[in-house]
This record gives sequence, C-alpha cells and structure tokens, in this order.
Amino acid sequence: MTQAWHLVCKADQIEEEEARRFNYAGKTYAVYNTGRGHYASDGMCTHEKAHLARGVVVGDFVECPLHQGRFHIPTGKAKGAPACIDLKTYPVKVEDGSIFIALPQDE
Amino acid sequence: MSEVTATDAQSSGVVCDERQLKTLARRSDVPGLRHLGLWILMLVGSGWLLHLSLGGAAVIPALALFGTALTVPAYSLSHECSHGTAFRTRWLNESVLWLTSLIYMEGPTMRRYAHARHHSYTWMQGKDVQMPFRTPLTPKGWLLEISGIGQYLYDAEHMARNALGRFHPDVVDFTPPSELTKLKWEARAMLAIYAAGATATALSGALWPLVYLVVPRLVGGVAMQLFTIIQHAEMEENTPDLRRSTRSFATNRVGRFLYANMNHHIEHHLYPRIPFHALPKLGEALREQLPQPSRGLFATNLEVLRAVAQRTFGKRRGLTGERAL
Repeated sequence: MTQAWHLVCKADQIEEEEARRFNYAGKTYAVYNTGRGHYASDGMCTHEKAHLARGVVVGDFVECPLHQGRFHIPTGKAKGAPACIDLKTYPVKVEDGSIFIALPQDE
Repeated sequence: MSEVTATDAQSSGVVCDERQLKTLARRSDVPGLRHLGLWILMLVGSGWLLHLSLGGAAVIPALALFGTALTVPAYSLSHECSHGTAFRTRWLNESVLWLTSLIYMEGPTMRRYAHARHHSYTWMQGKDVQMPFRTPLTPKGWLLEISGIGQYLYDAEHMARNALGRFHPDVVDFTPPSELTKLKWEARAMLAIYAAGATATALSGALWPLVYLVVPRLVGGVAMQLFTIIQHAEMEENTPDLRRSTRSFATNRVGRFLYANMNHHIEHHLYPRIPFHALPKLGEALREQLPQPSRGLFATNLEVLRAVAQRTFGKRRGLTGERAL
C-alpha cells in the first residue's frame, strides 16, 4: 500500500513529553515527542474512547487520560492494563522544522 | 468523532485549561517516595506503641492507631498505584502496587479492570461494578460495609473464583478475554502467599503476624471504610454528572496523608490522570465549578448514616445527594 506524507505541525509546537492531536480524512491520530524522537499512533485508546493526545507522556510511554492504560509509543505495544490491545503506529519524519506523518494513500 | 464516555469531566460539564492539566499531570517519583517514607515511619512509630501496649488496656487504642496506619494508606496507595500515578518509575509503581494489594486484598490486574469500569460508569446501577452494596443503603448494608465484612466477602469470593478460573459474570464483562488468564494466576499467587504466611505462622507458633498484620488489618478495615463509603454513598445514581454522584470532603493534614488526598474525590473522578500530590491544586483550579466539600470525615459519615436511618424509619425518601450545585 502506498503512503503519503502529511504535514502535522511545526516541530516546536510539540514540547518534550507531550502529544498533539492530528485529524485527517475522518480519522484521528496522536503525534508524540518523547524527547528521544517523534512518533505517531492512532489517536484513540484501544481500551475505551479517550484521545491519547490528552494523555500523559512519560518517557517512551503514553498513558491514556481516562484509565491510565499504558502504551509504548515507538512500537504501539500495550504495556499496562487496562490497555491490552496494541496501537497502530505510523512513520513520522521531521523535515525543515516541521513534523510529517505517513498515512496510507487512500486515507 | 464522539469521545464522550459515560462519566468524566466532559459528561459532567466541567472544564479545565489543558495546559494546566498537563502541568498537574506530570509524573514524578519524589512525592510518592516521600509519601512512602512517611508511611513507613508512621508504621514503625505506631507499631512501636502497639508493642509497648501489649498486655495492657492501652492495647485497644494502640491497635486502632496501628490498624488505621496500616490499612488506610495501603488502600489509598494501592489505588494510586493502580492508576499508575504514584510514581514516574514504573517498576517502583508496580512493586508498591503489589505490596499494598496484598494488604488491601485485591489483585492488581483485577483492581485495574474493575476500577476502570467504575471510572467509566461511576455510580450507575448495573454498570458500576464497584457499587459495593445494594442501594438504597439499608442499616444492615451500612453495617456490612462499615465493618469491612462486605469488602472481605466480595474480595474472598472474587479471589477464589478467579483462582479457579470460574470468573464472576461481572469479571467476564469488564475484563478482556485475553487478560482472564492473568487474573487467574494473580489470584493463585496471592492465595499462595497468604497460605504460606498462615502455614509458617501456625508451624512456628509466632504471634507477631497476627498481632502486627492480621488483627490490625481487620481493625483498620473499619477506618478504611469510613473513608471509602462516603465517596459515593447516598449520592445520586445513574447521572453522567460526577458532581452529583461523587463526594469530596474536607479533612485535616492527617486525613489527607492517610487518604493520599483522595478526599478530593470529585476532582479525582473528573481527571484521574492527575496524581495524588496535585489534587489539592486541581481542586483550587476547579473550585468555582464544584460543590462545597462536605464537612469532615466523621461529620460526612454521620450524614450518610442519618440518611440511612431516616429512610429506614420512613422520614426521608430518595437519596441525599440531589443538591444544588
């Protein structure tokens, strides 16, 4: 499946250990700055409907704001109950001071 | 895309600046380590008083003091750790969670899933699995809860059923199928630890586990229930507004320490990602939007008991919690 890069925001708009919501074509994503890199995942927690951009980023992990289910940001793996289903992740690049997310072409 | 869940800040019509929430939500090990250190000091101090009191009349208040010092923080710290908010360092959080869960007597994973359901559907009949008693509360129900017997029966039933793999329908409902095996082995591990302790005690003839663990835990269970029963008892049911279903109360420094600031219970339910040490600041930030906290631990318990008594004797209908905001 082909992918296309989409501009999310300026890199300095996401501070270290923060996340930002990105909506595109009817879907929502969370874009993270862990301090060690920028990453992106599906926006909604896989446990219940809460947006992870409102969650707490702790190092390489994000905690859902609702029940503090934990995910490893770079891999999307669920690492703490009540989260047990992994998040889908997406490639991210930082170019010329801006963050881009790669999404499947038809999204 | 709708993100409204059953009970949270949005469903309650409460707003707070996101930047402020992010600041308040920041994780740190320092407050949790300080809290843990003070708890250990409290246990050593009150345990020493208990030791000195053995054999005399002073053993009763000493037992009540030590039991309270053991059980109430075990509850509040295990609750905080189950949210993952007590410490920034995960292994520290999980270690303290396990230790305090052994005292509180509920498996960590079971706690996380049951408590998540409680947060999603706070005080909603048929959905909130942590509604511990039939409502309206009867005098018998109140006694069962305040004595701690209600909790022991609930925990014993679930731990036994989980260990056998014969899960209660509620547990099957709120636990993803892939996690049920974990629940089973966790219950087995806890029961094995309890059995090993009991066996070692019986074989050695040592009394200290009874004197410093079992009996204080039972006595302290009453103190714990005084804190926890007023979280939601006699508040409005089946409402998405946490300000109607949940109670915050004012208490002194000792109460706030024992309860890890969970007297800010409405605030905790509105934003569960805020760690215990930041709850007073959150309370300040939300003050204009929240009802006045109830007066004191004992006064609030009397309020609940009065409502139960008045309803039993036909002088009051409905719940006490329906009040103007």
